[in-house]
Amino acid sequence: MGTVKVLEATGIKKHFGGVVALANGNLICHSGRITGLLGANGSGKSTMSKIIAGVYSADAGEIKLSNKLVRYRNPNEARKDGIAMVFQNLSLVADLTVWQNVVLGAEEKKRLFLNDTAAKDIAREIIDQLLPDLDIQKVVHELNPGEMQIVEIAKAISAKPKLLILDEPTAALGQAQVRSLFRYMKTLAERGVAIVFTSHRLWEVMEICDYVTIFRNGENAGSIDFSRDGKDPEKIVDYITGEMLKAKVKKKRSAATSEVVLSVTDLNYGGVLKDVAIELKKGEILGIGGLAGQGQHELMLALAGNYAGIDCHAEINGKRIRLNRPANAIRNSILLVPGDRQLEGLFLKHSLFTNIIFPKLGLRRQPLFTPRRKYRSECEQVVDVLSIVAHSLDMPVSELSGGNQQKVVVGKWLSFDTNVLLLADPAKGVDVGAKRDLYEYIVNQVQEKKMSVILYASDNEELIEYCDRLMIMYEGQIVAILEGDEINDDTIVAASLRVR
Amino acid sequence: MDRVSGKAVAANSSALKRFVSKPDFSRLLILAVMLAITAVLQQNFFEIKAIVRNVNAFTPLILLTMGQAVVIISGGLDLSVGTALSLLTCVLTTVMKKADPVTGAYALAAAFAVAMLIAVINGIGIGYLRIPPVIVTFATSFMWLGIALFLRPTPGGETVDWFRAFYNPGSVEGMPAFVKALGAVIPPALILVLIGYALWFVIRRTRTGRYIYAVGSNNESAYESGINTAWVQMRACMINSVFIFLAALFFVGQNQSGDARMGDPLTLRAIAAAVVGGIALTGGRGSVYFALVGALILSFVSKIIFFANIANAYQTFFNGVIVIVAIAGSHGYTLYTRRTKEASKLT
Repeated sequence: MGTVKVLEATGIKKHFGGVVALANGNLICHSGRITGLLGANGSGKSTMSKIIAGVYSADAGEIKLSNKLVRYRNPNEARKDGIAMVFQNLSLVADLTVWQNVVLGAEEKKRLFLNDTAAKDIAREIIDQLLPDLDIQKVVHELNPGEMQIVEIAKAISAKPKLLILDEPTAALGQAQVRSLFRYMKTLAERGVAIVFTSHRLWEVMEICDYVTIFRNGENAGSIDFSRDGKDPEKIVDYITGEMLKAKVKKKRSAATSEVVLSVTDLNYGGVLKDVAIELKKGEILGIGGLAGQGQHELMLALAGNYAGIDCHAEINGKRIRLNRPANAIRNSILLVPGDRQLEGLFLKHSLFTNIIFPKLGLRRQPLFTPRRKYRSECEQVVDVLSIVAHSLDMPVSELSGGNQQKVVVGKWLSFDTNVLLLADPAKGVDVGAKRDLYEYIVNQVQEKKMSVILYASDNEELIEYCDRLMIMYEGQIVAILEGDEINDDTIVAASLRVR
Repeated sequence: MDRVSGKAVAANSSALKRFVSKPDFSRLLILAVMLAITAVLQQNFFEIKAIVRNVNAFTPLILLTMGQAVVIISGGLDLSVGTALSLLTCVLTTVMKKADPVTGAYALAAAFAVAMLIAVINGIGIGYLRIPPVIVTFATSFMWLGIALFLRPTPGGETVDWFRAFYNPGSVEGMPAFVKALGAVIPPALILVLIGYALWFVIRRTRTGRYIYAVGSNNESAYESGINTAWVQMRACMINSVFIFLAALFFVGQNQSGDARMGDPLTLRAIAAAVVGGIALTGGRGSVYFALVGALILSFVSKIIFFANIANAYQTFFNGVIVIVAIAGSHGYTLYTRRTKEASKLT
C-alpha cells in the first residue's frame, strides 16, 4: 500500500513586525510516518507548525493537503480538515474538567443538550491509553504539568486527525509518560495518521521518528530519512547548530569540598514532602531526579522559602535559618531559578533592565531614587557575561527567545553572592545551544566561586552530565542517593521506579 | 454484597467531605446564620405575608446578580445593568397606555427588543472590539441613562392593569380566581426567579453554557479550540439582558411606573452579591445558582442592619464592612481547605 503524501508545504514565509520568523520553510508529511521537526529556539519550527494548524496565516508560500491547495484563517478550519495540533503553550481551559477539555470545541449534542456521556467515553478511551490513573472528572487546574500535557494530547487526538502536530509534547512529561505517549504515537501511525513531532531531546527524536526535517534561521537546514540514511545524532546536531559540536565535555570536574553549606533535616510539608534531608557541600552540584511529579518541584520551592507552613530544621553555614518566606531564603543567598520562567521567574511585559535589577530593589538598602545609570551599567555587564541576545535593555523580555529568557532569570541573581543556587528544570524548552551555554556558565561559577547548586531536571541526560551526587525522589521522599560513577541512565531509572 | 455497600458508604461520606470542604458550604453557612439572625429580629418572619414581602424585596437584586454572574463567568463585567434596568422600566411605561390592555403586549415586545439591543451593543464592545468590559459598560451605562431620561425625565408613566400580575395577581380585576389564589401563596417574584433558574438550567447543558465557562477561564485557549469567543461573550450579554428584562417586569408591576434612576444603586450591589456568591471576577469560576445565595446574603445584611436601628450613615457604612467580611471569610475558608487538601494530595 505504501504511504500517501498528506501534506506538502512549500516556500512558507512569515514575519512578525520586523522579525522574520520563517524565510523559506518546507515540510512534507506522509501518512503513517512520524516526522521529526527539529531546530534551535527561534529557528521557525513552531511558526511552521502554527501556520499549518491555522493559528497564523503565511505571508507567502503554499500548503497542499492531500494535493489540494488550502489556506486556513483559523485553527477551526484546519481542524475541520483533519489537522490537529498540540500546543507548546497549553491551550487547556483551567476551570473545566479533563473530559470537558478533551471534547472542547467539538461537543456532540443529544437533541437540545450536550451529550456528556458520549464525551466522557471519548475522553476515557484516549486517556486510558496515555495515563490510565488520571481521573477525567478532575478540574484541569488541579493537575500537574505532565498530566495537563497528556490532556492536551488527548484533546488533539479526540478530533481523529489525519495530521497530528505535537509541538514539544514531552517537555513536561516524565520518562514513563513519554514511554506511553510513544507507544500511542506508534499505534496512531499504524492507523495511518501522519504525525509531526518536535522535541529538544535528541534521544526521543532518534527513538520515535522515521524521518526528520531540521530548521535553522527560518529555513530548511536538511532532512534525514532514518531508514535510508541511518541514525546519526552528530549529523542532526550539526544541522541544528550549523557547526559540528565538540565532543561531549568530560564529566569528571567535581569541585565539591567537604564543607557543608546547606543542611536541611526533617523537612515536611503537607503530605507532599516527607522527612527530606539534604546536605549540600560547597562547590557541589546536587541533582534531584525521579519520575515527574514526585515532589521535586515542591522541594525546590520549599527550599526557596515559598511555603509558609513548612516544617524543617535548616542551617546555612552552620547558622539556623527559617525557610518560611522567599525573602528569608534570598537574604541567606539561597536563590531560585524557577522552571516555568514565564509564570514564575519573569515580568514578561517589562524590560530586560527591570527584570534584571528587580531583586535589588526589594532587598538591598536602597537610596530613595534608583541610581539608574549605575544599574544600567551593571545590567549591561550581566547581559554581556551571559551573552544574552537582545537589541536593547529596554525591550520586553517576552520578545526574547526561550533560552535568552532563561538566562535573564539566572542573570538577575548575578550581582548577589550566591550560597546556594536552586535550578528547577532550567533547560526546559531551551534549545541545545542555549542549554549548553547556560550549564557551562553555571559549571564555571561552581568551579571558580565554589558556588553550590541543587539541580532538578526532568531530562535525565542533564542530571547525568552535570551532577556530582543525585537524589532520587519518590512520593515526596528521597529514596536513593547516587554518587559519581553510579549515576547513569540505568541506575536512575531503576531507582526512580524503585526496582531495587 | 457487603463490599459494594461499604464502598457506597465510603463514597457518600467522601462526597459529604468534599462538599463541606467547598467554599460553597461556607456561603450556605453564612446564609444560614443571616437567616437565623433575621428570624430572631423579625417577629413575624415565618408568616406567609412576611415571606412574600421579603421575596418581593429581594427579587430585583437576585435577578440582576444572576445575570451579572453569567457575564462575569464569561470573562466580562457589566456596569450598565442598573441603568439598563431603568431604561427598560421607562420603555415599558412609555409604550403602555392604561386604557388599552393590548399595549401591554406591545410594551413587552418593545422592552425585550431593547434588552437585546443593549446586549448586542455591550457584546460588540466586549467581544468584537475587545475593549475592556469595565470601560465599555461604564460608557454604555450613560447611554442607557441618557435615553431613559429622555423618555422619562421624572418618575412616572402609566401601565395597563394586568401588568400588576407580575407583582400581585390578587390586585388585578378580572384575573381568574385560581391565579389569584396561587399568587397569594407563590408570589410572582418567586416565579420570575424560578424562570431565571430554569433558563440557566437549560443553557448550562448546552454548548453556550460550556463555552461561557471556557471563554471566561481562558479566552485564548477557547479560541484555539475553535470557539467563536466574541459570539459567546455576546450570548452571555444576551442572557444577562433576559435577567434584566425579568427584573424590569417585576419592578414595573410593583410600582406601576418607570424611573430613569431607580436601577443605579443596584449595579454595584449585583456585582458585590455575585462575588459574595463565589463568582470569581477573573472569570470562568463560580455557579450562577449560587449567585442567588450571594444576593440573599447581601439582602439579609441590609435587613439586619435595618433592624439594628442605627443611624442611616452607619447603615451604609456597615453594609460595606459586612460585604468585605463575607468575601474575606469565604476566601479564608477556601485557603484553609485547600491547604488541608494539598496536605492529603500525595498520601
